[in-house]
Amino acid sequence: MRAFPYILGLIALAVCPFLVTSPYYLHLLVTIAIFSILTLGLDVVFGYTGEVSVGHASLLGIGAYTAGVLAFHFNLGFWAALPLAVIVTAFFGLLLALPALRVTGPYLAMVTLAFGTIVQILINEMVDLTNGPLGIKFSTPLFIDLRAYSDVIPLFDMSLKRMKELEYFYITGIALVLTIVIINRVLASHYGRAFEALRDSPIASDCMGVSVYKYKVIAFVLSAGLAGLAGALFAYSEQYIAPNNFSFELSVQFLLAVTMGGRKSRLGPMIGAVIIVFLPNLLADIALFRIAAAIIAGIAVVAGVAMFVRGHEQRHRALVPVALCVAFFVFSMMLQKITDYKLSIFGMMILFVVYFLPEGIVGFLRQLVAAALPNRARQVSARHEAQDDSKAWAAAPLAINTQKPLLTAQQIVMQFGGLKALDHVDLNVQQGTIHGLIGPNGSGKSTMMNVLTGIYVPTEGSIAFDGHALAGMKSPEIALCGVARTFQNVQLFGELTLLENVMVGLHHTYTSGFFGAALHTSTFTREEAEAHARAVSILHFVGLDDLAYEEARNLPYGKQRLLEIGRALALDPKLLLLDEPAAGLTAPDIADLVRIIRKIRDHGITVILIEHHMDVVMSICDQVTVFDFGQKIAEGRPADVQANERVIEAYLGGSAVPAH
Amino acid sequence: MSIFMQLIVSGISVGMIYGVIAFGYQLTFATSKTLNFGQGEALMIGALVGLTTINVLIGQSLGTFTAYFLMLPVVLAFGALQGTVVEWLGVRQAIKTKSEAGWIMATIALGIIFKNVAENVWGRDALKFPSPLPEASLSFWGIRIQPMEIAIVIGALGMMLAVEFFNRRTIQGKAVVATASDRDAAGLMGINTSRVITFSYALSSMTAAFAGVLVAPVTLTGATMGAVLGLKAFAVAIIGGLSSGLGVVVGGLILGITETMTGYYVSTGYKDVPGLVLLLLVLSLRPSGLFGKTTIKKV
Repeated sequence: MRAFPYILGLIALAVCPFLVTSPYYLHLLVTIAIFSILTLGLDVVFGYTGEVSVGHASLLGIGAYTAGVLAFHFNLGFWAALPLAVIVTAFFGLLLALPALRVTGPYLAMVTLAFGTIVQILINEMVDLTNGPLGIKFSTPLFIDLRAYSDVIPLFDMSLKRMKELEYFYITGIALVLTIVIINRVLASHYGRAFEALRDSPIASDCMGVSVYKYKVIAFVLSAGLAGLAGALFAYSEQYIAPNNFSFELSVQFLLAVTMGGRKSRLGPMIGAVIIVFLPNLLADIALFRIAAAIIAGIAVVAGVAMFVRGHEQRHRALVPVALCVAFFVFSMMLQKITDYKLSIFGMMILFVVYFLPEGIVGFLRQLVAAALPNRARQVSARHEAQDDSKAWAAAPLAINTQKPLLTAQQIVMQFGGLKALDHVDLNVQQGTIHGLIGPNGSGKSTMMNVLTGIYVPTEGSIAFDGHALAGMKSPEIALCGVARTFQNVQLFGELTLLENVMVGLHHTYTSGFFGAALHTSTFTREEAEAHARAVSILHFVGLDDLAYEEARNLPYGKQRLLEIGRALALDPKLLLLDEPAAGLTAPDIADLVRIIRKIRDHGITVILIEHHMDVVMSICDQVTVFDFGQKIAEGRPADVQANERVIEAYLGGSAVPAH
Repeated sequence: MSIFMQLIVSGISVGMIYGVIAFGYQLTFATSKTLNFGQGEALMIGALVGLTTINVLIGQSLGTFTAYFLMLPVVLAFGALQGTVVEWLGVRQAIKTKSEAGWIMATIALGIIFKNVAENVWGRDALKFPSPLPEASLSFWGIRIQPMEIAIVIGALGMMLAVEFFNRRTIQGKAVVATASDRDAAGLMGINTSRVITFSYALSSMTAAFAGVLVAPVTLTGATMGAVLGLKAFAVAIIGGLSSGLGVVVGGLILGITETMTGYYVSTGYKDVPGLVLLLLVLSLRPSGLFGKTTIKKV
């Protein structure tokens, strides 16, 4: 059933060139397919990871010029150009992404914008290589001359030109279908989950061993590779390329295409590609443009009136867009020469989409469908999924070595400006224990946790954990050493399901790489199935398998905290850091939590627990360390710590000398 | 040696222009973590409005020098208005919905519209801007300097100092600084942060428009003059650090001088290339910029 739209699409693709006989329109279709490859790739960066690239036209240009240089200087044709264009463009993508994605913020947009200008300059200047402003000519390849069989199959009786056009159409069609298949598979794999996770909560991704930086770079390089493929196809389809084919405006058009069509879908970027291919035609013919403006205004008025008739809650907010659509139609009627204002109209379209169609056409249609079918039955529970005990969570408890501590932090100093949040703190944690960290607010407990998980790099001091020196390591590396954590303010991947949240934690169990995911190798499918089964068993353990397919953001607060613990367990940690897991929980929830923490300890996982609920701390901790003003003021068994004068003083204030 | 010094001197005035535009990026980035991708167009349209104004004033038989100074307030006011429009149309909504892509695309779109409108109003050709100072070069120890180049350096520094003074010494300026360091907390203290952000955009476009009329007498004015300048200023803002006032000055000088050197010793065609190379280098080695502070993540 799910394959139905794909089969329909394939049939449409196959019969298309026999319905469209005009070479002009066939060429437009080819261009749409090529731009679709690019916009689908752009969506991986723009839609999924949320980074903005304003340089995809230049990447298209690099792909095209790779094909051009190969043809011009080395006499290498189409089949050499395709793979090399992908490789060369992906390399340029890597070159941009490695520096630009080190920091969060609009840096990728700024760098790609600069890159776009430089590429145009370089193509113009490096005349020896690129033939400069004169451009490069191509001849469309003929793959197989099927006309030889025309006496057997009369369908093949056509001119050489038509034959070439037809074959090229099928070649780009196949490239597009392959692109869709690869993107679908990659996005459904652990790569896709990483892309979505890093956008929802970068910090939690890093602490689950999924490096935000690494996966953003991978997304951009994939996207660049597809742009390169599109570039080589574009060069042979246009039969002539020149530097100004790959302008800044085209890059912006690609962004418009993805936004307008709808991000995070396959259909959206393709609809967008159709729009930007027809846009120049639309903006060249004033009569056509006026008709289009009239249709848009008509739809807007009808939709607006419908909202008022139905008494929709947000009907007043719809007034502005409706008025703007009508004004746009009036503007189109007043316009004398459309070519002069082509770019202004283009700019207004972007503004309109950003304002009123942020989810794109596909997103808008999804909303309509969701409104029409509100109670669509959805699979939520995973309780029925068979429990195979061999794959159940942590079936084999860890061997406990009581000889030396699992974690030894020595003389940790964490300085922020003039403030010492941690002042020469030592911390030893024995394996197989629950170690409590308590202290008043602002005493340095969470800072300690951030230092241990690499979110902060300590100013001084060393941390030894299970044979690794953690100080100075980055969060993802520390996570992969076996340190998992939860967060004081819950950091879930809100748009992923519960199951997917846990599967992001299981990312480290995959050995298959990008190509494994794209080709669905047997290793990959086995790993995916295993990860799925383990995720279900972990959810079962924390009592959430009933809601496995629900989106995490829809969970009530208490369950969100349990899910965070489940996700952390997926990392197969030796040490689990829980930052105020009981905060905001009701009494029955707390009882559940205590039971779960005890079970985790029984599996041999060492737990560090920050908590303000003293009854919880005192009942389950084997050791307690007390912090105050960034210093360790007491350490020992719960009962001893409770009786300690300095602890009482820190909590109750004033002098704690008992009265006689 | 004198050629080398000559290149440095020419690089300084170019670099100061880059610096002042980059300073505009900083102003809005500080308050709203957004910046105007159409900043170059703000500069261009400011310069063109300045051109029309100064020509009208000269038509009233005023001297070029007097006309230039009378034109300045008009250009500054226009710049502030243009910045307000950009914030209102392009940024406000995106800040509300916390959409990074939204403001980037909206400010790009506005830039495209401004450029297109300028093409239709002022034409596609580059126009000569009357110079308020003599155009004959002065010569110091064999190094030739145009008086306007000195004016650029003084004007750019003056503009930046004026804004810094405003931020540090006035109560409105303190509201800007407060919003920059913590928008939510500033809002809770009764500062209308959305108005502060609008104001920072007005200020930002105002500096860009001012940079436009500073550079116009030395180059030519036209609809296409802004794009490259805006882009160079991106490089400067990243090289110097998006949070450092000193950074943009030094970053501007580094880029300006590197460019004149490349133009002379390599080829004028490649003059624009070192900007991107420097940009990528700085991001690889010191992502927060040469003078930027590393921010502390809060969990």
